[in-house]
Amino acid sequence: MKRYGMVVDLNRCVGCQTCTIACKHANDTPPGVQWRRVLDVEVGTFPSVSRVFLVTGCQHCANPPCVPVCPTGATRQRADGLVTMTYDTCIGCGSCAVACPYQARTIVHEKVGYYGEKTRQEKKTAHDDRINVANKCTFCVERIDEAEVLGLIPGVDAEVTPACSVSCIAKAITFGDFNDKAAQVSELAKSNRSFQMHAQLGTDPQIKYLYEIPGTTPGRKAEFSDTDDEAMSDASNPLVGARQTFWDYRAAMNFILGGMSSGLAILAWLAHSSGAIDTGRLHVINLFAAFLMAIGLFFVFLKIGRKARFLNVLLRPHSSWMTRETWCVALFYPAVAAGFLWPHPVIDLIAALSAAAFLVCQARILYASKGIPTWRAPLIPSMLVATGLFEGLGLFALLDGRVAGLALAGLALAVVNARLWRRYLLTAREEGIGPLSRHDLAVIAKPLLVLGHVAPALLFALCLVLPQSAATLAALAGAAAVAGGVLWKFVMITRACHQQGFALPMMPQRGSGERAAPKRLALD
Amino acid sequence: MTETAKAKRSERKTVPVYCNQCVCGPDLLRVEVENGVALRIEPNLDIGAAHPAHGRVCVKAYGMIQKTYNPNRITQPMKRSNPKKGKEHEPGFVAISWEEAFDLVAGKMNEILAKGLTDEEGYPRLAASFGGGGTPTRYMGSFPAFLSAWGPMDLGFGSGQGAKCYHSEHLYGEFWHRAFTVTVDSPNCDYIINCGNNQEASSGVTGVWRQADARVRGLKRVQVEPHLSVTGALSAEWVPIRPKTDAAFLYGVIHRILHERDWRTLCDVRFLSDDTNSPYLVGPNGYFLRDTVSGKPLIWDLASNRARPFDEFTSGSGTEPALEGSFTVAGMEQGPDGQSWQHEAIIVKPSFQLLIEHLATCTPEWAAAECDIEASSIRRVADEFVAHARVGATIEIEGETLPHRPVGIMLGKGVNNGWGGYQTVWARTLLACLVGALEVPGGTLGTKVRLNRPADNRLKSVKAGPDGFMAYPFNATTKEDWQAKPHIRNGYKMLVPLSANSPWSSALGPAHLPWLFQKKPPNPWPKQTLPDMWICYRTNPAISSWNAPFVAERIAEFPFTVAFAYTLDETNYMADVLLPDATDIESLQLSRIGGTGSGEQFWHHQGWAIRQSVVPPAGECRDMTDIATELAKRTGILRRYNESINRGSAATALKTEAFDYSLDPDVAHTAEEIWNAVAKAASHDLSEGKEVHGIDWFREHGFMLREFSQLDWYLYPEMKRKGLRFELPYQENIKRHGAQLATRMHEVGIAWWDSQLEEYEALPNYKRFPDIWTNYASEVGRDPAEFPFWALTARSMQYAWGANVGLPLIQEVAQNIVGHDGIIINRSVARRLGIKNGDPIVLESASGKTHGRATLREGIRPDTVLLIGQFDHWATPYAKNLGVGSLNSLTPLSLSTTDGTGSGADLIRVSVKRDDSPQAVARGRQP
Repeated sequence: MKRYGMVVDLNRCVGCQTCTIACKHANDTPPGVQWRRVLDVEVGTFPSVSRVFLVTGCQHCANPPCVPVCPTGATRQRADGLVTMTYDTCIGCGSCAVACPYQARTIVHEKVGYYGEKTRQEKKTAHDDRINVANKCTFCVERIDEAEVLGLIPGVDAEVTPACSVSCIAKAITFGDFNDKAAQVSELAKSNRSFQMHAQLGTDPQIKYLYEIPGTTPGRKAEFSDTDDEAMSDASNPLVGARQTFWDYRAAMNFILGGMSSGLAILAWLAHSSGAIDTGRLHVINLFAAFLMAIGLFFVFLKIGRKARFLNVLLRPHSSWMTRETWCVALFYPAVAAGFLWPHPVIDLIAALSAAAFLVCQARILYASKGIPTWRAPLIPSMLVATGLFEGLGLFALLDGRVAGLALAGLALAVVNARLWRRYLLTAREEGIGPLSRHDLAVIAKPLLVLGHVAPALLFALCLVLPQSAATLAALAGAAAVAGGVLWKFVMITRACHQQGFALPMMPQRGSGERAAPKRLALD
Repeated sequence: MTETAKAKRSERKTVPVYCNQCVCGPDLLRVEVENGVALRIEPNLDIGAAHPAHGRVCVKAYGMIQKTYNPNRITQPMKRSNPKKGKEHEPGFVAISWEEAFDLVAGKMNEILAKGLTDEEGYPRLAASFGGGGTPTRYMGSFPAFLSAWGPMDLGFGSGQGAKCYHSEHLYGEFWHRAFTVTVDSPNCDYIINCGNNQEASSGVTGVWRQADARVRGLKRVQVEPHLSVTGALSAEWVPIRPKTDAAFLYGVIHRILHERDWRTLCDVRFLSDDTNSPYLVGPNGYFLRDTVSGKPLIWDLASNRARPFDEFTSGSGTEPALEGSFTVAGMEQGPDGQSWQHEAIIVKPSFQLLIEHLATCTPEWAAAECDIEASSIRRVADEFVAHARVGATIEIEGETLPHRPVGIMLGKGVNNGWGGYQTVWARTLLACLVGALEVPGGTLGTKVRLNRPADNRLKSVKAGPDGFMAYPFNATTKEDWQAKPHIRNGYKMLVPLSANSPWSSALGPAHLPWLFQKKPPNPWPKQTLPDMWICYRTNPAISSWNAPFVAERIAEFPFTVAFAYTLDETNYMADVLLPDATDIESLQLSRIGGTGSGEQFWHHQGWAIRQSVVPPAGECRDMTDIATELAKRTGILRRYNESINRGSAATALKTEAFDYSLDPDVAHTAEEIWNAVAKAASHDLSEGKEVHGIDWFREHGFMLREFSQLDWYLYPEMKRKGLRFELPYQENIKRHGAQLATRMHEVGIAWWDSQLEEYEALPNYKRFPDIWTNYASEVGRDPAEFPFWALTARSMQYAWGANVGLPLIQEVAQNIVGHDGIIINRSVARRLGIKNGDPIVLESASGKTHGRATLREGIRPDTVLLIGQFDHWATPYAKNLGVGSLNSLTPLSLSTTDGTGSGADLIRVSVKRDDSPQAVARGRQP
């Protein structure tokens, strides 16, 4: 079996952007879209500086995080390792884009040319099927597919080798089959030390970067100062990821409304099970929850690029949490409706379980977004579930503040949420969350603690000591809990959402001062 | 699937053309075309390993299609409706027919023909500028034949050359080793000292390819420059030197070798003795001591203990030339203007001894203070250089054994141009000589000739001259032959003996002086008349010149300007007629490829390639060859024009002793006919008659090659065959010409060139060159302290020569390279000034201002700011909205910053401030 990949030699690349533009030609990408892009990276401080050109693009990971998250099957991995896109299936949900830790994916929404109106060439090379869906480097899959037909070998024969490699004027990009020991990529990878970017994420990317000149100049490990908070706070540093824009307030609305509505449904069922509310009330609350959830889902519907084919979202239940979330919706709504028409505890249980599953799915959707360090943190699933429940409880408290045990549950959830939040902040750095996102988190750290955790906790506690005002206090506590949840999710989705930056764990030893290559007086 | 894939491939139609967008070419590409629309560009890999970069083209070539379909193109002839000219006056161009355009242009030309080609001051009435470092000859069709047929024409109005070229290298390089441009034999080199040459951005695909190969092989390059360029980034070490002190650095390196190390064991003493003028004895007046009978320079023979003429020191003669010491000798010196001194018994020294003494004070500590770097760096570089030189080693190339000296020295433009250029190129070439690394495998090489002849063969241009050196076509400085009055407005024959008198010389003279003198001529100087007509061929001096805004004002003063125009730009804004010629992939031409050429174009093949119309010309654009023919016809010079084509002005001679494909001189031929004849002549010549192909064959195959010997990369074997020495280190000829020129100038009362005349030193002295630019402020009544920063520029591979500033595609990819969106400034300094990344800033020099956005980086000296490329457009569509600033708006155009070769350097002192003006806010970010 083949395993296609690339070897990029950092000692060869001069950052000329010929590969970038050759790719644009070969793949007809629109303005602003670069499937192959070469970054101009500087590390160090004058007078000890080095500068490296870093070839980026889809790494066609052996374990690609973008594939399982795709709810439609538009993104798949072939047997030869290529991660492919089927534009006609993609709904443009952006899940793959936020799952990619290499910033490889783009979604273009408008059909514009470089000068506004398209030129004759742009009209003839337009790909309308790529509008509003995810795009990325394909390793020039059409060429590779032609290889067998033409009896040629990708990486050896230019016409079946990716355009970036064929066009490179420094021989910096070599393409081929890593499973073929005789292939040049295998030879290069074997006879040189190399690194895979973000190897620690387990993606097993299939671009290997060479960084040393064997025999004369060993590579250099990144120094702490290359990636310290100051370096990583500089938005102009190409290693620093920018805020993702694939998911905006509309996605946030789904997480906010979906979380609180599913939480509400769960809480209502629990309350009903404990006898605190009757069946009729449960059904009314479920209906309200379904209404809120529908608004959230409608926002998502507004967000997806290809609305007409939104049902494709149901196609990948075996891997996609987004598909599963949708199936949960498909179960929840009939269950809520059926609860009204044919009241039965099993149906109510189904509604509650599907709401709980929905909440878990949401939590896993965010957690599966490996391209966003704040989202992929291990605490995220627990936090989303805990927040959803707390928001649900908050809503419930607004509706039925007198329910016994509510205050105690609220107090408990406030404590759980506060502890999770605190732990999340404390571990943010070690979980790879960069300073820009940490800054955004820090901005809401106190407000969230006060509004979302301490205030509800105090108010719920007061409920216990002032039972006569319990309803009012619980309602206030609930409102604070909901407000805290809204604030947190909104900031998480739209602010503290910087993409995983690029990394140079090893780099060529060259530059000024201490970074310069070693002194060389002998030749051999 | 199978059949579909096959069908798809066979349906694709790709057309071979060459890329004409820089001097380091042409390189080859293919354009995919469908139903008359060009779709995509790809490298032409058909050429395979015959091309040193295996058929690749650089990023610029991929802009050609967008360039073709740019909606801002001018696609029909236009004439000006507003008689007022200037930046503030809308030209009001209105479309006209070609017939009317030709009537206007040819009518004006006929007026000139009627009045006489030169005016009352003796200046040509017709002037033309091309820019582009000679690249226009690859896209202007047969227009060179028109120029040749016309007669006297002033080609000396510069577009920025002098500051934008390798000026000192051009002149001294050709003089010393037929090196109009200089490079390093990278495939055989192990160590390069590179003072600011941005090789990775400027040496073309071949340079990038070869440097990358050399790097991974272990070549070490030390980049000495004030900012960490793309090339510095790829170098083993970056030494952040103070601007314009490179000569001091190299002097320090040489001092280390000559004074701190044992040069007798480290240097290539045989090369110095036999192949340079190092052993020539120098008399007390600074001229070679010569044999009184033969007049030949003398060398002290340690074997016979007497002075003997240089040509007696042949191998096997048992002679032993002295490089050091002092000797009592009889002889004569030949000074300027026939002056001579007879010496009965005088103590003299070999020039090498004088060299040693000359650099005695240039210690690494002295240089380190000048350059603001560590003395240890200078010592280490010197030691590494000599260690890598492998003195004594040989290499076999194509069966011949040659010296192998794998060390080279490169110089950048700012280093090479203007004051200090002479010292730096001298030190570089001398350093190569010290270890015998000049024009040998692995060493420092010339690439092509432009001032010597024949232009297409560097080796054949090696001709024996006096004193054992190559002959060089100096412009005369003797009383009888000196050109006492400028024949064109830059007066190169009069002012710059080294600029020679080839078709390139007018562009290599002080090409900025016509602009300067147009405003205020020096005294005395003949009246600086305006040309009756100026042809501006797709060049934009109103942007690309030093002090471009000043030049724009001068252009507005021209009475009649014809501009071959691609889009509206800052120069053709002042034109009277715009003529749209068909561009890169719309017209027909053949060009030489291979051999040796600019950058690192060292091929194992040479031949011809085609540029053809892949798509029909946009609108009414016409093939330049047809435009040239029509103009020739309408001005009655058709016969001369055709004869010029037959002689080879367009590409190659159509008639030789071996073949005759010449055109009927009395008939107007189409572009197709002309290039068909060229194709046949070129292929006949290339194959020695074995394969003669018409233009259609080239259309299909794209190129034709024959082998080119690697031995022809190196001048040294040819020098040895002819028994010649390199005219280094001692510059007797320069000294004599300088003395004569000074006399001539003073005879006609010219004193304003005196400081330039001081440059003519036999052993050039280092001066504090940075002070020249610092003190410029005082010259215009400003305080130098106002301007604490150096502003520099650097090559953009993505933009240079591409005429592609109006292409958003190029801008998009160029943005990935830092500096294309703003002015680079040291981060710590910016912090001190309260400037954040992306903040609008204004740079002011004593002669101009520019605006841009701050780009904060660490890879730049704290006293330096950097503006990449050439921008500040105000008329060119799209480009005018980029808002990135330009050094050309800051650099002064002045005599005081003009050196003896007539060049200036691309740098100036500036102030840097946050730009809080409302306009800055309005400019905002890039489009």
